[in-house]
Amino acid sequence: MDEMNFSRSAGLSVGVELELQLVRPHDLDLSRDAADLLSRLGRRKLPGAVKPEITESMIELNSSVHTGCSPLLAELEAMRAAVVQEAGVLNLRISGGGSHPFHDWADRRIFPNERFRFIVERYGYLAKQFTVFGQHIHVGCPGGDEAVYLTHMLTRYVPHFIALSAASPFYQGEDTSFQSSRLTAVSAFPLAGHMPFVADWAQFTDYFARMQQFGIVASMKDFYWDIRPKPEYGTIEIRVCDTPLTVRRAVLLAGYAQALAAHHLAERSLQPARAVYLVNSYNRFEACRFGIGGDLVEPYSGVRKKIGQDILESIAKVAPHAAQLDCRDALEELAAMVRVGQTDAGWLRSRHAARGSLADVVRDACARWEKNA
Amino acid sequence: MKLDFLPELPFALSQPVLFGALLVLGLAAGEAARRYAALPRITGYVLAGVLLGPEATNLLSADALLDARLLVDLSIGLIVFELGFRLDFAWLRRNRWLLVTALAESLFCFAALYATLSWFGFRPLLAAAAAAIGTATSPAVVMVVAHELRAEGQVTERMLLFTAVNSMAAYLALTLLLPFLYFEQASAWQDAVLHPLYLLAGSVLTGLVGCLLLLRLAAWIGQREEGQFVLLVAAVVLTVGAAHSLNLSVLLALLTLGMLARNLDRAHVLLPLRFGHGGQLFFVVLFVLTGASLEFASLATAAGVAVAFIVMRFLGKALALLAFGRLSGIRPGGAGLLAIALLPMSGLAVVMVQDTALFYPSFGRELADVVLAAVVVLELAGPLATQFALRRAGEARPDG
Repeated sequence: MDEMNFSRSAGLSVGVELELQLVRPHDLDLSRDAADLLSRLGRRKLPGAVKPEITESMIELNSSVHTGCSPLLAELEAMRAAVVQEAGVLNLRISGGGSHPFHDWADRRIFPNERFRFIVERYGYLAKQFTVFGQHIHVGCPGGDEAVYLTHMLTRYVPHFIALSAASPFYQGEDTSFQSSRLTAVSAFPLAGHMPFVADWAQFTDYFARMQQFGIVASMKDFYWDIRPKPEYGTIEIRVCDTPLTVRRAVLLAGYAQALAAHHLAERSLQPARAVYLVNSYNRFEACRFGIGGDLVEPYSGVRKKIGQDILESIAKVAPHAAQLDCRDALEELAAMVRVGQTDAGWLRSRHAARGSLADVVRDACARWEKNA
Repeated sequence: MKLDFLPELPFALSQPVLFGALLVLGLAAGEAARRYAALPRITGYVLAGVLLGPEATNLLSADALLDARLLVDLSIGLIVFELGFRLDFAWLRRNRWLLVTALAESLFCFAALYATLSWFGFRPLLAAAAAAIGTATSPAVVMVVAHELRAEGQVTERMLLFTAVNSMAAYLALTLLLPFLYFEQASAWQDAVLHPLYLLAGSVLTGLVGCLLLLRLAAWIGQREEGQFVLLVAAVVLTVGAAHSLNLSVLLALLTLGMLARNLDRAHVLLPLRFGHGGQLFFVVLFVLTGASLEFASLATAAGVAVAFIVMRFLGKALALLAFGRLSGIRPGGAGLLAIALLPMSGLAVVMVQDTALFYPSFGRELADVVLAAVVVLELAGPLATQFALRRAGEARPDG
């Protein structure tokens, strides 16, 4: 049960994982050069880490652990530049966004390593359909009980993270009418969903042990939850975000998560409530479908409001903590985007309207990631 | 009962019947090669051609082959257009070593062939012309094998890029040898200077005009896939036709058309290129016709030269790739596979020999004796080599 020992991590530290698209320039479809790109990146001295993902058309950037937004941005920016440069040598382009607009999932090839082969064997075509691109945000917790508490607290904000990061309006060559279509690919997995309603770390480890005895899971990695504790790192991991189109937005989202965590751990004004999970799937759908313009039922008060409105209110609520954490500017920037309705999904749709083809959308998205415009 | 509505015997084999039969036989042979011998389909097409050709049944006579030249040009045109369309100048700008590697690949290969042929005692002009032709990898074979295996990855991309570059280098070298040929034939110096100039400038200009026309019309038609498909085919056919009637190089004109269409399209009016199943039709035609033009007799007379030619050609390419490959960012082991993938020689070499023979029959005959024996071998072994290399590189689709 060593895996379930909750590691100590600097409380409220933050780290980010970003899954990126590898695009070949000649037809702007996904390429399959992850192995070549990774081996080139492996020879460079980089902060953080770069890793393979389930199919050969993806790579994942892992930041190291940070206490504030500015160093996180600087590091991810350096990694972005290195990846773009090495990709250039191989004639690859790199893009953010939660989905490739028109790739054919059946064309994807699984990255050859043991875990990914196991996933294909277990999940069949779901594995190839899992070629979607997400951002995971880790927030450091002082202990397991805090991690459980924070997971319950932050579940209420899942629609915020979906709406703020939404960047997958197109899928399989069609406009899905969703702001984030990516989460649909995740929901198909049997162990997707959310953490059960446990009160503390002891209850959680009991639950995990039973699932292990049933032979349903082997490790924490087998849970595809929206938010899951990660005892190995001493963090909780928010997994609902699409990879944004820019590194900057990815850092703003991390700053927001950090500030929310700081607020809830410091104030402890609310207790975990089952009501959160009653409204969760409705809120989550609204966020995927309509983004910041969707509706949300506030679980504690039962009040219905726009997701964008709720985001602005909670940013105002956590502002004092943000100031102490060096992410106040980040939250202001995020709030400004919400006020004018500026989202990545909207940007992708506007490129499609202006250019007329999804290939052009991919090209523009690559240019945006590469120049970080 | 007169039955005079029935056709007279024997049936006259009309052009459409011949053409249809050629397609059916080629297709069937390709499928058989694939199913029963795990060979690339191309090998089957070529063998069907050999069976139909003058060396066997003579259903495709030497005259018929001459008549079919436009069809061959059209097929090669489509293929080199697509090849040019894959050539990304931006990649060469970002990765200078790639350009160095591509140029070295052509240069080393030419030098190795020239030295070998000189050693065999061929006179310099003949050795140089044969070396130039040998520098080119068959664009058709590498494109078709890559399509068939649905290969993608670094080895595949570089194979296509180097093929575009070495085909262009081969044509350029051969054209620049023309003045010496004129001198050898004691022709007027004006011809000696103007002919290569006309070929190079004319072909590039034809490609450029075709490209400008294509981009203008594509911008006007908009991003409709059906419309753009017809437009692309039209541009290719028109450019091939123009090059053909103007006695220019189909290869250079169409490579130019493809390259410029890709690299001058700043506003991105062209959709990604997909010839799909339509392209397959031309592949079958091309390889059956190439198979029919193979001259096995040359193999008997020039076996020693052919073997040396093939070996030194491979070594020249391999040396350049091993020397510069890593600098251009290819993975370890990739350079060797790339050298194998670049082995094929095919229709393009035949066409180059034929074109030379058109103006200089006797020199053309000598050239054919040197080159065509190697073509016979590589026509059959080349596709297999490319298939092996792409599979080994892990870039072919498992079901491809």
